[in-house]
Amino acid sequence: MHSILKTSFVALIAAGVATSASAEAHSTLSGTLRISSDMSNPAPRAVMEGMAAEFDEMHPDLEVELTIVDREAWKTQIRNALGANPPDVVNWYAANRMGPYVDAGLFADVTDLWEEEQFEGLASTKGAMTIDDKQWGVPYTYYQWGVYYRADIYEELGLSEPETWEEELANCQTLLDNDIKCYTIGTKFLWTAGGWFDYLNSRTHGYDFHMALARGEVEWTDDRVRETFANWRELIDMGAFIDDHQNYSWQEALPFFQNGEAAAYLMGNFAVAAFREGGLTDEQLDFYQFPKINPDVDYAEDAPTDTFHIASGAENMDAAREFLRYVTSPEVQTRINGGDALGQLPVNANAEIGDDKFLEQGFEMLSSNAEGGIMQFFDRDFPAEMASVGMEGLQEFMVFPDNLDDILNRLEDARQRIYE
Amino acid sequence: MFPTPIAKRSRSAQLSYQAFLPLALILWLLPLLAVALFSVKPGADFANGNYWGIPSSFDLFSNYGMVFFESNMPRYLMNSLLITIPTVIGAVALSSLAGFALGIYKFRGNLLIFFMFIAGNFVPFQILMVPVRDLTISMGLYDSVMGLVLFHVAFQTGFCTLFMRNFIRALPYPLIEAARVEGVAEWRIFWYVVLPLMKPALAALAVLVFTFIWNDYFWAVVLTQGPNAQPVTAGITEFNSQFRAAYHLMSAGSIVAALPPVAMFFLMQKHFIAGLTLGAVK
Repeated sequence: MHSILKTSFVALIAAGVATSASAEAHSTLSGTLRISSDMSNPAPRAVMEGMAAEFDEMHPDLEVELTIVDREAWKTQIRNALGANPPDVVNWYAANRMGPYVDAGLFADVTDLWEEEQFEGLASTKGAMTIDDKQWGVPYTYYQWGVYYRADIYEELGLSEPETWEEELANCQTLLDNDIKCYTIGTKFLWTAGGWFDYLNSRTHGYDFHMALARGEVEWTDDRVRETFANWRELIDMGAFIDDHQNYSWQEALPFFQNGEAAAYLMGNFAVAAFREGGLTDEQLDFYQFPKINPDVDYAEDAPTDTFHIASGAENMDAAREFLRYVTSPEVQTRINGGDALGQLPVNANAEIGDDKFLEQGFEMLSSNAEGGIMQFFDRDFPAEMASVGMEGLQEFMVFPDNLDDILNRLEDARQRIYE
Repeated sequence: MFPTPIAKRSRSAQLSYQAFLPLALILWLLPLLAVALFSVKPGADFANGNYWGIPSSFDLFSNYGMVFFESNMPRYLMNSLLITIPTVIGAVALSSLAGFALGIYKFRGNLLIFFMFIAGNFVPFQILMVPVRDLTISMGLYDSVMGLVLFHVAFQTGFCTLFMRNFIRALPYPLIEAARVEGVAEWRIFWYVVLPLMKPALAALAVLVFTFIWNDYFWAVVLTQGPNAQPVTAGITEFNSQFRAAYHLMSAGSIVAALPPVAMFFLMQKHFIAGLTLGAVK
């Protein structure tokens, strides 16, 4: 049964690609296409192996050689892999994370691919794939961040989804008056605080400022950075976050949300599976985009994007380019992001998404309401070393907001050292 | 005799012993009990913060069923066996031979070689991580069962040889001389005279090495990845997805992974304890 489905699916894909891809006769591809992938977790691994097998079947003269590397190990191996005898296609991440490889000339320029018709559907991440006005890879999946909240609690207290910072603070005050914390968060592993900073900073000063800070072009002691922290401090001083959050992982902070002790959670869409597993129904749950703080600033959203790139030393450039067309086609993106595969959002706006209200809202938000740009999350946008020092500082700020000067001086020292 | 047996101590000492023993036992076993409890809980209990309470539903069968039928655990268990058994055989065989040579023959440098085997035990293996990984990659053994087996054999042989050499040294030397007088070939002396006498040492060593290798996590993570070669200790983490840890499945997997060495211990308890003390006392 499975193989029948698979075969018919291959036929479908083949037909889809044949019509959507440009006139280059893709069936004439030959030789070997070598792909190095970091999709090593079980579900992504199955997706990658499926795609490689299908692509292989679509092109009889082409042999696809797939190497799957452990996702964490790949973060250090990629440089070696691209250096000598590189594979044709590799997995990596969007935005600043590509910077070092683009600067070193290890990724191939794929700007002309992005001019093809199919790539118009990928507009939401075009900015994240662009360095020096050129594109260096293609996205295959991402997922939204935003505020997941307990609709039942909001309804009981007569609250509505906030769109401005004032509404946000007013909502929070009402919740606190009813002995409910506004937000749960677990900062034990630091990164969750990074999400808060991404949103507060980009809503206060915009995507471009946030990215400039990430690239080390703005001092951490800058007054604009202080404004961001001042906004954050309003929530902290109200007692908006659960107590002792530095002791919890993000999963250990879930029970506060599940039990109704906290009304909302700023988190990635992967949290929904945990909410549901814990017994909350879709009637009790809902989602809103992080509210505007500065009304003149466009929405920028955290949506960590995973990508494919062509190595500049690729031997089979034609096959590599065809593979990039293949993974960005709406049909393939629809399937690999489905609930039974990656369970995330397709980047291609023409792809279809599963019947899931959170995926639908996220897809809508990212495809049409993120004019500011797509952020990749604190620990991807900032260089690894800066991110690790930075997130420690953010956690410390959430616990001891009075230490702000000290923290910012420390981060500024780190900035001057790291971005040399 | 020291320590004085409890039965011969004062009544108050006996009472406090009886009171504290169960307490210490519970404290000691608490982590294990927690893992056992977690392994029958549904995933929902972890989302809802019900870590220590009564499981909201009894999911023994679905959790363990998941482990055995819907994950790569059987494959990982198989890998563990494929790694552990050849290593035990290889290390014990090599070290009996080396131990025989070092224990029976007198030649120049005998002691030096013996000290080198001992010295190998003093090298903390963590510092070998990078060179060993590079070596296995350049030999094409990275991410293979063979690579792990070869490395484990090489590393365990040092300790095993120390053990075997001391054991053979303690055997009555006239037995070997008598055989030589009869004109028995050296390899037959090893096979027919020494080896049968070494049975207790072989058993003890096999049990010990089995547990060492089965429980190895460090090299499993350094030298392998994925279900085609990784043993069960490292494979358990497969229950973690990219974002979430499935505590209930990991607990069930840990229990399953811990069973073989525990069973080994109970079945071969006598040899195990002998193995720990043998070689230390001479």
